[in-house]
Amino acid sequence: MSAVLPHPDLAHVPPTTTPEMTDPTMTTSPDTTYRITTPRVVRAEWIKLRTLRSTWTMLLSVLLTIVGIGAIAAATATGAVEGPADGGGPGGGDALSTVLAGSMLAVVLVGVLGVLVGAREYSSGLIRSSLAAVPARLPVLWAKVVAFLGAVVPVVLSGVLVAFVVGMAILDGGGVTTVSWSDEGTARVVLGTAAYVIGIGLIGLALGLLLRSTAGAISALLAGVLVLPTLAGALLPDAWDGLLKYFPSNAASAFTSVLPADSLLSSETGALVFAAWIVVGLIAAAVALTRRDA
Amino acid sequence: MIELRNLSKRYGDVVAVDDLTFDVRPGVVTGFLGPNGAGKSTTMRMILGLDRPTSGAVTINGRDYRTSRAPLHEVGALLDGKAVDKGRSARNHLLALGATVGVGARRVDELLDTVGLTEVAHKPAGSFSLGMGQRLGIATALLADPSIVMLDEPVNGLDPDGILWVRSFLRSLAAEGRTVFLSSHLMSEMELTADHLVIVGRGRLIRDVSMADFIASAWSDKVRVVSPDSPALAGLLAAPGVTVTPSSPTELEIEGVPAADIGDLAARHGLPLHELVPLHPSLEEAFMELTRESVQYHGRTDGALLSADAAR
Repeated sequence: MSAVLPHPDLAHVPPTTTPEMTDPTMTTSPDTTYRITTPRVVRAEWIKLRTLRSTWTMLLSVLLTIVGIGAIAAATATGAVEGPADGGGPGGGDALSTVLAGSMLAVVLVGVLGVLVGAREYSSGLIRSSLAAVPARLPVLWAKVVAFLGAVVPVVLSGVLVAFVVGMAILDGGGVTTVSWSDEGTARVVLGTAAYVIGIGLIGLALGLLLRSTAGAISALLAGVLVLPTLAGALLPDAWDGLLKYFPSNAASAFTSVLPADSLLSSETGALVFAAWIVVGLIAAAVALTRRDA
Repeated sequence: MIELRNLSKRYGDVVAVDDLTFDVRPGVVTGFLGPNGAGKSTTMRMILGLDRPTSGAVTINGRDYRTSRAPLHEVGALLDGKAVDKGRSARNHLLALGATVGVGARRVDELLDTVGLTEVAHKPAGSFSLGMGQRLGIATALLADPSIVMLDEPVNGLDPDGILWVRSFLRSLAAEGRTVFLSSHLMSEMELTADHLVIVGRGRLIRDVSMADFIASAWSDKVRVVSPDSPALAGLLAAPGVTVTPSSPTELEIEGVPAADIGDLAARHGLPLHELVPLHPSLEEAFMELTRESVQYHGRTDGALLSADAAR
């Protein structure tokens, strides 16, 4: 870089608001100008999130995935687009799961975004500056959660709603049986799917803070949270179903399916169990964040 | 004001910081000096509440930093200039951290100007050189007009112009009544900057001393004289309290007589002098003497590796 520097005397620019500069000791308790507050910490985390290009790429991908795959799945179901030879198509049959088929990929994207919010600062070392700026530490976790939700909730929610409207229109145009918003269970499944996608993102965020490694947390999320329960369900004897239904993805299936399978929990219990996983994850992250050396 | 009391940090069997007690006072630049691995960075992390002490305590302005109501206004720190998100611009990096205490765009832009990064303010911090990273780190430390400025190896990677700038800048911060605490493993960096020295080795306190006292303790009045008639001169100088050591047939090291008196004496007796040099040991030498015992990683200078290779 060019070596032209301001002269030191000129270089020291006093801050724009300097009531405390008249205090010669500089060690008295700070005035309110530079007071730390929870809204300010949330704002800091929001700036961190919005100033990374990857955030916007991910959010756009999530929106396109939910809407696009839903539309393609719907078109396939009408026969307008040629599907696989077995005729099954994505979504597995009923109109709602067809138009929401994109959520299966979106959940991975949102989960990864959550991991990045939690773990990214550890790979760069920025976390030390962040925790030195917020030495109480816990506000950083809540601020990350709020900023993450602020970015993800509008995208996922509008995604599933648009996917529902567009997908049903395509199905209707192709003469396939559709469901309407007022039909029993429709709102639960559509909003439940959004909640599932967002919830997995929060679990990813917690895993990121716990494991402090992007790669490690993504592996844990994909393998442990999303794939393992399905794999275990396929491999283990039915006797294990009583345990497997409490896994996050299975608990979520209970409120994201129109007619939950008998091996699953009820919608209400499933929602509670899924919420409990999120809470447990965030509490573990909070303990790790406050107890461990940064 | 930073106060450390019996501060210790142990990682398993390794004692990184061992019972450190000292104060870092406002209004002066305090140099934190020690060889690599002396525990300087660990100590600074404990001061910031990033690492938990195994025992002992540290307070900032009399309180536990974790309870601070205006953290960045109390302590601005540079620990590692490269510890920024590579994808975020320098300006956004400052805006994000500053936001925790309400520092806005105007102050951030002023600081970017102060450290000379205005032109690259919107470039991703990952593209910065080491020196630019240090400048960004210094700007980060100054975000909220802190009463304590703490910098870990601040001139690391800076060009000579930047080093000069940091020195005068830190001095001006201290002159304003701030507490300035900076670490280094080089005495030469401290000579022109620090008013007070805290010297550590292997995590232990070796000296907590003012720069003036350190210089006084390192002082010696040795004089080197080169003269073709050095034996004759040695004979003239012999007196109680004077040590004369011939270091070569024509060279003497003399202790106990000022250089001027030696010159006058030689002139009176018509003895030619080729050199008359007062020998003040450099502060670097004095520092190395102090920390010799505690240097963790000694390089070999005996050439054993080379000769072993040659013998093969």
